[in-house]
Amino acid sequence: MSLKVDRDSMAFTFKGGMLPMTVMELASADPERIREQLAGKLSQSPAFFQHTPVVLNVEKLDEPHLALERICAVCRAHKLLPVAVRGGPDPVKQSAWALGLGWFPPQEASRPRSLESVAPDEPTPAEPEAGQATPPAGGRSGRIYRGTVRSGQQVTAPEGDLVVIGAVNAGAEVLAAGSVHVYGALRGRALAGIHGDLQAGIFCRELHAELLSVAGNYKRLEDIDPRLLGTSVQVRLTDNQLGITTLA
Amino acid sequence: MAKIIVVTSGKGGVGKTTSAAAIATGLALRGNKTVVIDFDVGLRNLDLIMGCERRVVYDLVNVIQGEAGLNQALIRDKRVDNLHILPASQTRDKDALTQEGVEKVLDTLGKDFDYILCDSPAGIERGAQLAMYFADEAVVVTNPEVSSVRDSDRILGLLSSKTRRAERGEDPIREHLLITRYNPSRVDLGDMLNLEDIREILAIDLLGLIPESEAVLRASNQGVPVTHDADSDAGQAYTDTVARLLGEEVPLRFHEYQKKSLLSRMFGGGRR
Repeated sequence: MSLKVDRDSMAFTFKGGMLPMTVMELASADPERIREQLAGKLSQSPAFFQHTPVVLNVEKLDEPHLALERICAVCRAHKLLPVAVRGGPDPVKQSAWALGLGWFPPQEASRPRSLESVAPDEPTPAEPEAGQATPPAGGRSGRIYRGTVRSGQQVTAPEGDLVVIGAVNAGAEVLAAGSVHVYGALRGRALAGIHGDLQAGIFCRELHAELLSVAGNYKRLEDIDPRLLGTSVQVRLTDNQLGITTLA
Repeated sequence: MAKIIVVTSGKGGVGKTTSAAAIATGLALRGNKTVVIDFDVGLRNLDLIMGCERRVVYDLVNVIQGEAGLNQALIRDKRVDNLHILPASQTRDKDALTQEGVEKVLDTLGKDFDYILCDSPAGIERGAQLAMYFADEAVVVTNPEVSSVRDSDRILGLLSSKTRRAERGEDPIREHLLITRYNPSRVDLGDMLNLEDIREILAIDLLGLIPESEAVLRASNQGVPVTHDADSDAGQAYTDTVARLLGEEVPLRFHEYQKKSLLSRMFGGGRR
């Protein structure tokens, strides 16, 4: 018996993904008030309401029970497609599932998890970082890190790009909402576009990365063409595929 | 005030205690008043390597818990006058150490000594963190293998974040790389990482390179720090290391494979 997996015969493959998603933060649980506001918005920007998938965020509501079914009906009537609910007490979770919707934990609790889903094996504990980090001149966001990012350290740019002037060693993790630039050897994990920016990229002087990820699409060291190892490369998403090309 | 130097590595079995004993001996032989402290509470080894295991009465934990005075616990080395050993407790565990207690011991020792060497336990837990917390300099002991290099890298990250100097925003700890068990012929064969690869990954100054040597095992089992074995390659390499630690410029030795000459093969080539 062979365990060989024939790619052509597979019905599907699971892939980690981070898609941009509209979150509808409910400040009221009253379906009538939601209807009024939606009707007003629809007349302003009809292009937005094209069966747009939305996540209903009910974290701000302090109600044990919601007329979830009616809220969904109001949304659908205005060409919004509720796909999931975020937050709320247990009864809300149960009724979301009963309506065939997904349920996400509240934002605070889910933040570390969203990282795990991108980097499936062995989440690295966050370590207070060493080295000096300064915002790049002229920009209001992004981050410049000078020095070696060492095993077990995590350097994050929650907004904008991350620039590392030094190497990222094996077992270290660098993350950015925008692109990740490493002016040195990249031996650890690099995750760009952690909030779903598909235009983000990863750039490094010397590629030995354990993991490369752009907006949730990732490649492990094993998946990287060995000929590219040790060269200076850029990593970008093209047609949902992570492409690695040499920087001449 | 004494200079506090931690000898650390992350990974176990790479030669921390051997190096701490050898460097402490070397510093004392050069006329510095030196004390070496075993932080490996529960797995006491330094006293064996220093050959003073039969003279241990009180230990670091006794001092920290106020059961003995520092002078009662300090053991004077038999061979070098100005060298002292503060042994660890074998019956307790690392929880017996407190940050305040360690600070008090180091402050008191600092008044009398030129150098305080802290022999760190393996790992990155409490014992290792306390050993490095008050350090001014660190000797990171690394073997030429990938797991050791990665663990050293992790320790370097902790040195720059979880130490008093880092927390107070003072000048960072001076980090030195000490490569041990280096075997040039196996490096040439590709069995071991080479010197340049290790230096490139860890990106810190090279303090010394100790060749893999029979002299080290012999020294450990005899309880005589290998620095005393001045004929051996490892003993000489540690002497070089100590000189560099004292700021001297000494060329690197023992990092290239020397083919034995016909004569030395015929006559055994002396002791190695």
